[in-house]
Amino acid sequence: MAEMWDWSPRPLARLAFGLMLMLSATVAAAAGDALDRPGLVAALCGDAAALGRGAEAVIGSAGSAAPDDLAFAGGVLRGLLDRRLACVGTGAVLLDRVGAADGRDVLTGIPASATGGRSPVLGLRQRGLVEAGAGIVALLTGATVEARSAGLATLARRMGTLPEADAILERARTAEADAGLRRAIAQAMQAAALDAPDPARRRAAIAAIAAVPSSAALSRLTSLKADPAYIADPAFRAALDTGIASVERAVAIGNGLALAYNAVSFASILFMAAAGLAIIFGLMGVINLAQGEFIMVGAYAAYGVQEAFRWLAPGLIDLYLIAAIPVAFLASACVGIAVEALILRHLYRRPLMSLLATWAVSLFLINGVRVAFGSQNLQFGMPSYVSGGVPLYADFIVTWNRLFAIAFAAVTLVATLLILKRTPLGLDIRAVTQNRDMAGALGIRTRRVDRLAFGFGSGLAGLAGVALCPIYSVNPGMGANFIVDSFMVVVLGGVGTVVGTLVAALGIGGANVLIEPFYGAVAAKVIVLVGIIVFLQRRPEGLFAARRRR
Amino acid sequence: MTGRAEILSTPSEAAPARPAAAWRRDPLLVGILVVIAAVCLGLVGLQPAPYLVNAIGQLAAFAILAVSLDLVWGYLGILSLGHGLFFAIGGYVCAMHLLAHAFAVTGVAPDFVQFMGWTALPAYWAGLTHAPYALALALGLAAAVAFVFGLASFRSRVNGVYFSIISQALVYVAMLLMFRNDTGLGGNNGMTGFPLLFGYPMGSAAVTTGLALAALGTLAAVLVGTRALVAGPIGRRMLACRDDETRLRTLGYGTTRLKLAIWCLSAMIAALAGVLYVPQVGIINPRVLSPDLSIEIAVWMAIGGIGRLGGAVIGAVAINALKFWLSAALPEAWPFILSGLVLVVVLALPNGLLDLATLRTRPTWLRGGAPR
Repeated sequence: MAEMWDWSPRPLARLAFGLMLMLSATVAAAAGDALDRPGLVAALCGDAAALGRGAEAVIGSAGSAAPDDLAFAGGVLRGLLDRRLACVGTGAVLLDRVGAADGRDVLTGIPASATGGRSPVLGLRQRGLVEAGAGIVALLTGATVEARSAGLATLARRMGTLPEADAILERARTAEADAGLRRAIAQAMQAAALDAPDPARRRAAIAAIAAVPSSAALSRLTSLKADPAYIADPAFRAALDTGIASVERAVAIGNGLALAYNAVSFASILFMAAAGLAIIFGLMGVINLAQGEFIMVGAYAAYGVQEAFRWLAPGLIDLYLIAAIPVAFLASACVGIAVEALILRHLYRRPLMSLLATWAVSLFLINGVRVAFGSQNLQFGMPSYVSGGVPLYADFIVTWNRLFAIAFAAVTLVATLLILKRTPLGLDIRAVTQNRDMAGALGIRTRRVDRLAFGFGSGLAGLAGVALCPIYSVNPGMGANFIVDSFMVVVLGGVGTVVGTLVAALGIGGANVLIEPFYGAVAAKVIVLVGIIVFLQRRPEGLFAARRRR
Repeated sequence: MTGRAEILSTPSEAAPARPAAAWRRDPLLVGILVVIAAVCLGLVGLQPAPYLVNAIGQLAAFAILAVSLDLVWGYLGILSLGHGLFFAIGGYVCAMHLLAHAFAVTGVAPDFVQFMGWTALPAYWAGLTHAPYALALALGLAAAVAFVFGLASFRSRVNGVYFSIISQALVYVAMLLMFRNDTGLGGNNGMTGFPLLFGYPMGSAAVTTGLALAALGTLAAVLVGTRALVAGPIGRRMLACRDDETRLRTLGYGTTRLKLAIWCLSAMIAALAGVLYVPQVGIINPRVLSPDLSIEIAVWMAIGGIGRLGGAVIGAVAINALKFWLSAALPEAWPFILSGLVLVVVLALPNGLLDLATLRTRPTWLRGGAPR
């Protein structure tokens, strides 16, 4: 997208190129295309005014000078800046290091003595010109990308004072091999064109900026409203207003997309946290207040896998997040099964007591982890596939970490549905959810189903822990941030239905994220809670109540 | 589902004739009232160290809070995980009164007013310098919030764990709301630095003792009042509603009205506990609204014994006394001890610590003389 300078205004730039050549011819009087090397040396060794003229001559011819001339000029200017240039008699000697007794003659390259030579003194203005000249040469002839981009930075700082900048940039961009630097050069050209004296070029530059909308482009265009031409020139004003309007629209759409993307990713996490909760609640009527801590266990398991990779297979460390998926599932599932077997098994007839028992478990897990690992946030190294993102439209960037969470949730959804609908365990779970006594009478071992389902639901929470560790901070108290929202999802979606959980997660996650930018995070929560209470007036059993008999 | 109903369902024909004496037939309650009276006398006569007086007063406030929850959980089967909200309403209104009073007397604006760059208190603080109005506002506000929330929930038959979850969300949202600085209620830091109570300097021995006595007296009054309520016809209807709401409704009783009325009463008692609590600790901030604290109230009850007003008092006092002691002596170990205690009680003693008394000898005097 940013490559557009490669095609659209090229004829225009060519025209400017010619124009600049004519202009620079007046400065570099006799030089023409070839650099007058002895003249340059003489000028640099002359008085302050002559020194300035010499530097200007280099800048003026840089757009067209031959590469070896440029390299020569660059060497001299760099030497001048580094105080390695000694003027002796009629010529100059370039020293290898500051203060050396002898070096090589600038023009001939023959070793020569620098005795009695003097280093030209640079005034503020002259130093600026010499630096610009050296920067331009570095941009055009630098050996590495770093050297060339440093040269571009030097040039960009004094763009306004250099009429030749356009020709130089055009030459640099044509020759540049590195795509990133080429983009940077194009941007610099754009900036130069915006400040150009020619109104038509300025309008073209505005249109070019508006063609790649972003909030940076918007602020750049908006700042042009203060330009005198905005009041004086109706064509300029029209072009600017059109440009701003189109960028504003694009930025608004991009922000909307970004918001929707965030909403879906938050809903994904919420779904993964709540799916296990909904299954457990539907099956056993147990409110598992420790679900948030099972998420935390999953995230800590992912951390453990990362550390194991770091010690045992540092080369494969990027894969740890994938390897953590089964580990986190098993870790949380084991904790869940242990809790079920040791505690909840005895409390099925007393759901409110099992609620308090799971609260005690959550208190225990939070403080146990705090004592074992400390209460600071864990440091996760982010593999390449969950860091960064792709800019899609205007300011909307598809970040990989959120895409990871969304994809993870989608896979989990499909897997959960398959397990519930297509496996013997799923059949048992559905049977016991619908009618526990009848299922028991038909020979299903309901207690065993309970235990496996509790392990499964806890394991889902562990998966949520893996999915959120690239996005949210991981610490012992992290579960509390999700638990209230996940309960709301279960209440709204209806117990024991995965589809209801999905719809409710999208609804609550979406509402939270969408309301937040307008009224704030707190108002979002208040509105969502009130919405849920009002909704329960109509459907106390939630969106999709599982049909069952008790 | 919450333990044994028979403890309190005393089908005595004498009850309607002399309802005023209902509390006398609960020996546990009588015992607690005697202890309260003894502690009051001790406070006045022995003049113990101020921190001890203060701790006793706070324990009494927590006990009132526990009784308020027992009323709805133990007798109606409604577990509220949001009772901290009503406690906080009382606490916040009391803090507002104390600050407004101090502002009127000393002329120094409260911290958060200066912090927000305001010159005067927000408009809705008007009149809070008058204590009776503040008390009425605390109780009225708690009752109003409880009424709206209860009406919405009970009308649509939101029951059991559903109600618990939604009440937890309510207190959570309230906490987020109070963490904001622009509410005019102190925001993140809450309200603190109360210099005066009714014109007397806070922290003096007389005021501390007075507050503790007030809390103890209120606890006694609340116990006697609620006992009279649950032992009377309304109490029998409450138990019936707890054990089988559908049947009670089928028999022609309006359960929504009953639940709503008791729910609001419970909220007001909780607010009263908050009013008594805040001047004793000298601070209120949004942390009292954290869902964990509201669950803890239920934990006190589960440990003390549900559906038995005395059990709530014993649980609240025992757990909080332990907490006062251990969070100073062994701060790291306290959460483990609490969670272990909860698990042991929940698994081994379905009716809380009161079970311990019945384990060995089953003395009938403790069971209210109502064996079935």
